[in-house]
Amino acid sequence: MRRRDFTKGMLAAMGAGLAVAEGYAPARAQGKVTLSFLHKWPEPQNIVFFRNAVDAFQTAHPNVTINMDAVADDPYKEKIRVAMASGEIPDIYFTWVGEYTRQFIRAGRVLDITRYLSAPAWQGRFAPATLDAYKTDGKIYGVPIEVDAKFMIYNKALFAKAGIDGTPAEWPAFAAALNKLKAAHITPISFGAQLAWATVHYIGDLNAKLVPSDVRLADYTLRAPPDKLFTDPGYVKSLALYRDFLTNGWFNRSPDAYTHAAARASFFAGRAGMMYQELVEFGQINGTRLARDGWDFFPMPAIPGGRGPQDLLTGAPDGFVVSPTCKYPGVAIAFLDFLTSPKQGFEFTRITGRPSAVLGAVDAQNAAPQTLRGMDTINKTKGLVLWLDTDVESRIASAFLAGGQGLMDGSDTPSGVMAKVRTTALQVQKGRG
Amino acid sequence: MRRRITARVAPYAALAPVLCLLFVFLYLPLVADFDYSLHDWSSLSPTWRAAGLANFRGLLRDTLFWQSLRGNVLYAVVSLLFQVCFALVLAAVLESRMIGRRTSTCLRVAYFIPSILPITVIGLLWQVMYQPDVGLIDQAMNALGLGNFAHAWLGEPQTALPAIIAVSQWQWTGYLTVLFIVAIRAIPREIYEAAEIDGAGAWHRFRHVTVPGVRETTVLMALITIFGAMKVFDIVWVMTGGGPNNASQVLGSYMYRTAFRDDRVGYASAIAVVIFVLCAIIGGLQLHWSRRREAA
Repeated sequence: MRRRDFTKGMLAAMGAGLAVAEGYAPARAQGKVTLSFLHKWPEPQNIVFFRNAVDAFQTAHPNVTINMDAVADDPYKEKIRVAMASGEIPDIYFTWVGEYTRQFIRAGRVLDITRYLSAPAWQGRFAPATLDAYKTDGKIYGVPIEVDAKFMIYNKALFAKAGIDGTPAEWPAFAAALNKLKAAHITPISFGAQLAWATVHYIGDLNAKLVPSDVRLADYTLRAPPDKLFTDPGYVKSLALYRDFLTNGWFNRSPDAYTHAAARASFFAGRAGMMYQELVEFGQINGTRLARDGWDFFPMPAIPGGRGPQDLLTGAPDGFVVSPTCKYPGVAIAFLDFLTSPKQGFEFTRITGRPSAVLGAVDAQNAAPQTLRGMDTINKTKGLVLWLDTDVESRIASAFLAGGQGLMDGSDTPSGVMAKVRTTALQVQKGRG
Repeated sequence: MRRRITARVAPYAALAPVLCLLFVFLYLPLVADFDYSLHDWSSLSPTWRAAGLANFRGLLRDTLFWQSLRGNVLYAVVSLLFQVCFALVLAAVLESRMIGRRTSTCLRVAYFIPSILPITVIGLLWQVMYQPDVGLIDQAMNALGLGNFAHAWLGEPQTALPAIIAVSQWQWTGYLTVLFIVAIRAIPREIYEAAEIDGAGAWHRFRHVTVPGVRETTVLMALITIFGAMKVFDIVWVMTGGGPNNASQVLGSYMYRTAFRDDRVGYASAIAVVIFVLCAIIGGLQLHWSRRREAA
């Protein structure tokens, strides 16, 4: 017993020493510490990881209690806003990167953690593109835990049946492959747009390929002058190209009538040639008809003549920020340090099947070969095109979301949608002064 | 003396907890909502900016607001037809001698069951039933040779809201039928017997005995139905989220989206005030009309 106490004491001293060396206050050196922690992974397989991690951290830091709360993706958006309005801001909480985090930063609800993350222990932990997503004006505001990107997954058996060789790298070859699938009476792409976020994954990617990056970023952040705001013709082309998927018969019938989950179930059952999916969904393919047919993936093909960079991936890291009202920011950072340590990164992927943002944490022991290659592609990419619905102000996102559905059901046109987006953007810009 | 004081205080003491709860969770938020609606603020605003009636003026120019209101009106009209008028007829039929007692009991249970199912379950169930090609509705239509009328019910702007409204009728008509049955049973049998002796047929008994006999219940049901139609949110949010392209938006879903997605709490509060005022006006008019008829 005494030996155990001695060992604990030694570990505590070592931990405290390491923490001081890393630039944040040691959790042990303080009295009783309670932190609130809110995230969006309540699903049984995901919450197990977080419970284990919280328990392990509390065991290592007996004076720290972490009150964890988790709600699913959609209700999270409401819960965090209610928390912000009530002033009961969780000490550590999840945010989507892009405008979603920037609005919290502007409102002073996120702590600048640059000085903590400048410590040597943090260097080289994440891919630059992953950490960059949490940077605003050169300052770091968040710690990523997982990284995600969209890829076009395809069914190898159906590709072979349609006579498609290899994977298309450019749009003409992609269009040819889609037409071959259609000619073979195979639904080329399974798509469910009833929950409108699915539409903006396509539109966001096409925007990035067809609109010059500086123009797009100036529009998204509303820094463009009013007479130029969302006027680039690339946006209309992007929406027209998106609509072509339906008019050319490349999507299943009536995507607005299916949820993403229903479309995914159909694709996994071998009823479509391709589906635009997230890396975090790769783990769900095991045991499905698609797994038996064989599958692989490729990034959304480049568009020849597109004025934006063609080698960016649509995706984003997910992670946490610290509230400036947190009484113990050092302990909060110590917890995030623990949560994104190589060991916990490995556990994250092993337990949840989701790709950890920690470099080297995803390997053949905890992930499928395709997931490993997906991670490799993300780590090598020059940059991520963030999810459109969290990268622009929410009202502008709503205009894109509704417009994307309108294009699918024929109730709107590309120029009509962009007119609404521009009107909304001008209103928001004017409101910000 | 003490007994008299106790007798006087006791009713208030019994009511106090409920009044406190009503005050904290109903009246206080109601008053606060009026205050919120006069400000321009979001959950992230450090301060509130007084906006006067700007939010309400904004609503007048907001095409999506008017479209949502039209959605509520359609919801109310269809619900009145089905959940009040049709439910009353159904109740009268189930209580008549046209249908055997055992069959009537079975039908009442069958009609009532949807009302006890959770709204989310119903929404998800009908989402699957409405799916094009694989959904039960389109498959049944194809089997009956009505394939030309098959639709992507929730995926087309013309059919999305009517499809949701239809689900609401399916869920609640049976419930209101049972309430009407209770009301019909409260009508003295002697009146029906007298009408029968006077030669009144089924229609005339319904028209001149049943309908006047359940007038109070009808007014109450109509009020509840209209209020429900004005406040509707959950079934719309579960089934379409107001889409596609806002085609099934109603005031409740638009208010929710404005508050929690677009983070315009002041504007959303103005929508809530409009919903409250509409309900108050409709309720007042209906009660006024009902009292006038009673007096007549």
